Amino acid sequence: MAQSNLGYWGLVFVIGLAMGGCAPSTTPKPEGPSSSAAGAKSPAGQQPGAGQGRGTKESATTPGSLDALRKGQSTATPASSPLKDIFFDYDRYDLRGDAREVLRANADWLKKNPSARVEIEGHCDERGTSEYNLALGAKRAQSAKDYLATLGIAGDRLSTISYGEEIPVCKQASEDCWRQNRRARFVIIPSRPAS
Amino acid sequence: MTQKIMLMLSFLVFYPGFAGAQFKGEIVGQGGQKFPIAVSPLKNLGTAGDVAKLSEGLADTMGYDLDLSGWFKVLDRSAYIEHPQNTGITLGTFDFKNWSTLGAEGLVKGGFSVQGDEVTVELRLYDVYQNKERIGKRYTGKVKDYRRIAHKFVDEIINQFTGVPGIFNSRLTYVSTSGGRFKEIHVSHLDGTEKFQVTNNRTINLSPSWTPDGRAVLYSSFKDRVQTLFLFELYSGKETKFSPRAGRLISGKVSPDGKSVAATLESGGNSNLYLLDLNGNVIRKLTEEGGIAVSPSWSPDGRQIVYVSDRAGSPQVYVFDVASGKSRRLTYSGGYNTSPEWSPKGDRVVYTGRVGSRFVIFSINADGGEPRKLTSESSDSEDATWSPDGRFIAFSSNRAGKYQLYIMQATGENQRRLTGSGGDDTKPNWSPRLD
Repeated sequence: MAQSNLGYWGLVFVIGLAMGGCAPSTTPKPEGPSSSAAGAKSPAGQQPGAGQGRGTKESATTPGSLDALRKGQSTATPASSPLKDIFFDYDRYDLRGDAREVLRANADWLKKNPSARVEIEGHCDERGTSEYNLALGAKRAQSAKDYLATLGIAGDRLSTISYGEEIPVCKQASEDCWRQNRRARFVIIPSRPAS
Repeated sequence: MTQKIMLMLSFLVFYPGFAGAQFKGEIVGQGGQKFPIAVSPLKNLGTAGDVAKLSEGLADTMGYDLDLSGWFKVLDRSAYIEHPQNTGITLGTFDFKNWSTLGAEGLVKGGFSVQGDEVTVELRLYDVYQNKERIGKRYTGKVKDYRRIAHKFVDEIINQFTGVPGIFNSRLTYVSTSGGRFKEIHVSHLDGTEKFQVTNNRTINLSPSWTPDGRAVLYSSFKDRVQTLFLFELYSGKETKFSPRAGRLISGKVSPDGKSVAATLESGGNSNLYLLDLNGNVIRKLTEEGGIAVSPSWSPDGRQIVYVSDRAGSPQVYVFDVASGKSRRLTYSGGYNTSPEWSPKGDRVVYTGRVGSRFVIFSINADGGEPRKLTSESSDSEDATWSPDGRFIAFSSNRAGKYQLYIMQATGENQRRLTGSGGDDTKPNWSPRLD
């Protein structure tokens, strides 16, 4: 039965995957300088002059994490930034006492610089799955935004974005590193918010 | 015992590990013996030379697939006695004893002829015990696509043995760093061939998944700064950007009927499931959670969606009923269960759970019950996806250092690493069967 079953089988080769509209793959450039988390770990107020009403012009040089990634720059918040990172416990988005303290200092700076707008980035450590971490990062950014609002910062000056676990500041698989990655960053947007 | 029966039954009867539910095509092995099969290099039946090395290329591809399935032991070619060019490929033109001597119980022989950029391939599966032919097929296609012919025939061989065709004419889409710092969407065959890069925007692209017709990939991207979904049609290169006003899209899956998308949309910090049309417009909101509802995956009948919610204080897997709008909790053990995917057979859900400080693949009956642990907690394994026949699972694991793609049988047996990109390969999603 099977012997007589030598059927002609014209395969239709439709999957011309390498066709129109698709850029040829190029090899991405190697990793940029490995990020140091030194800045991210600095407690608020460690840098002289931090929180002392620095102008937005100077601090606006801090790029957002995605821009930094694109350019191969460090995704750590520079020590010179007037707005400090806050940190979270694993799988949590409620604000710790140390985070509230940093947020109060950040709010003070925002009050002294009323034209400054800020994009709050929520980040996670690498553990767990990326989609859940994107949602968790959004919760973290929102927690920070909500607390700043209770401190009197107008909501229209604050926007949020989550990068989940996708843009870590520290890349080793260790608790010390993970702790630095579970953070919210405050990126000052020059004058007008980006689209 | 001396009475020989047809090849398909000899496989099932003489290898009790595989017996049981053979008529449904279910193979529940208990580390049972593999079926010894020889795959001869093919005979050049034409006048043109074998410039593309099809003789061995076709045999290599079939051997790789058969081996990867976990059901076959492909005998080492260096021991073969018959030279493919000096013997025939039809009954009576070669000697079965030359193969039974090697321990082969199955034999694949074939021939090919090249005309220009086209090749015609004739393939046959023989039962070495019974000296009979079981399958004979002839295929024609482009020389450069010869592997697809090999995959097709292996799918036929697996159909002969199990009653359900194999899945080797399918592909994976996945996220890869390719050694760099960006995450791009890729598509390739299980053996790493026919690679295609869907995105090359030098940002972060995530959560690729196939449409049910296998013609497009839905993925999320930060390429326009704000994360949203894109539907990329592989054959035309046409891309649709989803731009819902309601918020930002984290991930989505096209429904089994191909008409809508279950997506995670984040707004004001809360992530909920939404039903979207194929242009990204909101049809309706599905969940009303004040926290996190992510990672939807459709049941094959499109009536239910398995997803992750943190409503109980930790991420757990829930099942949402589309008609009633009600959710039921599916996972109870462990404090972190995410990334569920519903089997195409409908009976089970695979997901990633935390065990100690590691992440492990589990499967659980879609109606609940005890989960089955499929990977070891000596490394991390994540993001499991079912093969189109529900008999295999692909996933990402860091067991050999960086994250690479693996496949295993649905039982967790025969875990095998796939050919990688050289970077971190994560978030595989298995296509439907393709032609």
